[in-house]
Amino acid sequence: MAVIHFDGVQKTFGHKGNGFVALDRIDLKIADKEFIAIVGPSGCGKTTCLRMVAGFEFPTAGTVNVDGRQVTGPGPDRAVVFQQFALFPWKSVADNIALGLRNKGIGKTERGKRVADAVKLMGLEGYEAAYPHQLSGGMQQRVAIARAYVLEPDVLLMDEPFGALDAQTRTTMQEELVRITRRNPRTVLFITHAVEEAVYLADRVVIMTRRPGRIKEVIDIHSVREAEKWSEHERIEDVMDLESFIHWRTHIWRSLREEKSDQDQ
Amino acid sequence: MSTSSSPLRTSETIAYGAAGIVLFFGIWSGLSWFGIVPRQFLPTPYEVVAKAVQLLSTPFAGGTLQEHLLSSVLRFAYGFLLGAVIGIPLGLMMGWYRLLDEIVSPIFDALRFIAPIAWVPFAALWFGTGIGGPILIIFAGAFPPCLINAYRGARFVNRSLIEAAQMLGTGNTRIILEVLLPASLASIVAGLRVSAGIGWQSLIGAELIVASTGVGFMMVQAQLNISTPIVMSAMLAIGLVGLFIDIALRWLEATVRRRGLA
Amino acid sequence: MKRRHIIGVLTILVLAAFWYLATGPLALISPGRFPSPLDVWDALRQVSIKGYANGLLYQHVLQSLQLVALGFAVAIATGVPLGLLMGWNRRAEALINPVFSIIRPIPPLAWIPLAILWLGLGDAAKVLVIWFAAFVPSVINSFTGVRRIEPYVIEAARMLGTKRYRFLQEVLIPAAAPSIFTGMRLSLQASWTTLVAAELVGALYGLGRILNVAQQDIYPGMIFVGMACVAFLGWLTTWLLAEIETRSLPWIQLGRV
Repeated sequence: MAVIHFDGVQKTFGHKGNGFVALDRIDLKIADKEFIAIVGPSGCGKTTCLRMVAGFEFPTAGTVNVDGRQVTGPGPDRAVVFQQFALFPWKSVADNIALGLRNKGIGKTERGKRVADAVKLMGLEGYEAAYPHQLSGGMQQRVAIARAYVLEPDVLLMDEPFGALDAQTRTTMQEELVRITRRNPRTVLFITHAVEEAVYLADRVVIMTRRPGRIKEVIDIHSVREAEKWSEHERIEDVMDLESFIHWRTHIWRSLREEKSDQDQ
Repeated sequence: MSTSSSPLRTSETIAYGAAGIVLFFGIWSGLSWFGIVPRQFLPTPYEVVAKAVQLLSTPFAGGTLQEHLLSSVLRFAYGFLLGAVIGIPLGLMMGWYRLLDEIVSPIFDALRFIAPIAWVPFAALWFGTGIGGPILIIFAGAFPPCLINAYRGARFVNRSLIEAAQMLGTGNTRIILEVLLPASLASIVAGLRVSAGIGWQSLIGAELIVASTGVGFMMVQAQLNISTPIVMSAMLAIGLVGLFIDIALRWLEATVRRRGLA
Repeated sequence: MKRRHIIGVLTILVLAAFWYLATGPLALISPGRFPSPLDVWDALRQVSIKGYANGLLYQHVLQSLQLVALGFAVAIATGVPLGLLMGWNRRAEALINPVFSIIRPIPPLAWIPLAILWLGLGDAAKVLVIWFAAFVPSVINSFTGVRRIEPYVIEAARMLGTKRYRFLQEVLIPAAAPSIFTGMRLSLQASWTTLVAAELVGALYGLGRILNVAQQDIYPGMIFVGMACVAFLGWLTTWLLAEIETRSLPWIQLGRV
């Protein structure tokens, strides 16, 4: 059974004379605990896809279902990690992580325990009382991930989560994400511009065309990863050196470049 | 071309400043002392201060200067607090609940352009010389900035913060209290400062017309008695209190900003 | 946006209906306290046609408008240049600032008794007070307008060899223009507030006079008419100013107030 199901989804923005078609027709089934990365040129609608699963946008045609039910609004079952972190500047790290639990009505003791677990998971020990502005970008994003993880969501939605980080922090976070999802697997929908990131992290990579967005190609990376035993390499740079990795990365690059070459920008 | 862009040295700033003040008081004193303007209309600065000191112990128009000031400040406080207590929550809620915004906004926009002082006749009609009158007028002045600033603060909160809160399953009340309010704090406090200024001014205006105590009342009585020194002492007192209130709120603004509430 | 308008109109209609019912058939509010729509209409007709407080409505309106216009104009003409000067020239700022800071906290309305002492109950006193009320925001905002100009704009102008007068006309004033207009908006607001207050305290004609006499006559309908006129004129002049602003500053995108 698919956990996330895009069925004939179309999205148009704007009013009758003045609008544009963001998504032409999206059909996609994402299985339980699958890690899906969506890549595509700017404006192809990949973020819109994520936002529809999150419940911030709604399709103009077709349906988006999670666990068999149509998405009607946002909620903690589909946790979102935003590109700009979206932490509450006036709350401490611990309070930021705890808000979702408070909304669920979880009691103080249980809350404290879960927050502590999340803090440990994301390597934030010692920073519980700190405020977002005191933390680096990487740390802030860890808090955002902790905040999402602590909800034990069915689906984890990540919208270019490492886009605002510098290159080194980015690589560290990618390794972290692999570590966490291995320990605590979830269904993940991950939007990114960076092809290498997608190939490194995902089970399947969805390539989208330029606007109006359609699914161009879906690459099964999981079988490649298993066959070529990528997980035996600890460090990203070692994985990215492998022939199989480079092959698929280049394939996806070329596919994207076709989309770009006809574009003005 | 002039050298505007370079700030002055501290010594220069003080020198020019002192020169300005000396010039100001000098011309004033000169005009008065040499009778260029009749003493009656322009007492010397010294006379004004002396009169102010005298009013601290000698009552005029029903009370000493402090007693009148206290009356005024109390009225101001009531009206100002009422304006804030109603305006801020309402503004936040209007920023969140679209329907509420759509209902209240037209009413508010219609009433907004009525200068607070124009409420005086109705205030007099409804409250006579009671305390309700001035409070109504102060409220009419203090309420709009509180509402507008809270509303603006709430409406312009970073969208992703709101989405994050919704994603976390936060209920409406909690969103208003724990997201909109902290995010709007800077705007709200700025609004309080504007509100206090208008409120204090409205109070004085109200007291000029419908009061039997207070600094504004004192000024009118002094004017009718042609006691210019008293009028100017009252102006001095009013200015000082207004300044004090403004400084207090500026300090509050700076504190809020400093606490890094981003 | 459409929904917003519909709900807005509905709200006004509901209120109007409530107003009519409360002062009429349901008798929730006594006529001595708040006028019914009919009372207001009668008062409006009276002041427009027969006259009230020694004049017809248009005469009162003209009187008030005149004073506001005069005070406002003089305030802008004196305040904006002073503010620009203080913003541009640090020496001028250092010289004037302390004195300005002393006078500034005194609310304009507090000048009314003094103005009356000096100039009597006539128009001159009112214009003086209006001038003062409108003067302060103009100065402050023009000052800020200059200070806020990004240094690189000035550097670019200098690099291009822009001299005195042209610099003033083509760089300084346009750059400071948005702030100047904000100041003018505040000045206009202050002008109306002060005018009404001044006329309430002592006047022979004007909207404030209408309010004053109506209060003494215990004539709620007329009070309402007076307030409505004040509100309307305030709104009208503000709108006019906004239009002028939009025409003069086509390169700016203005948000809703």
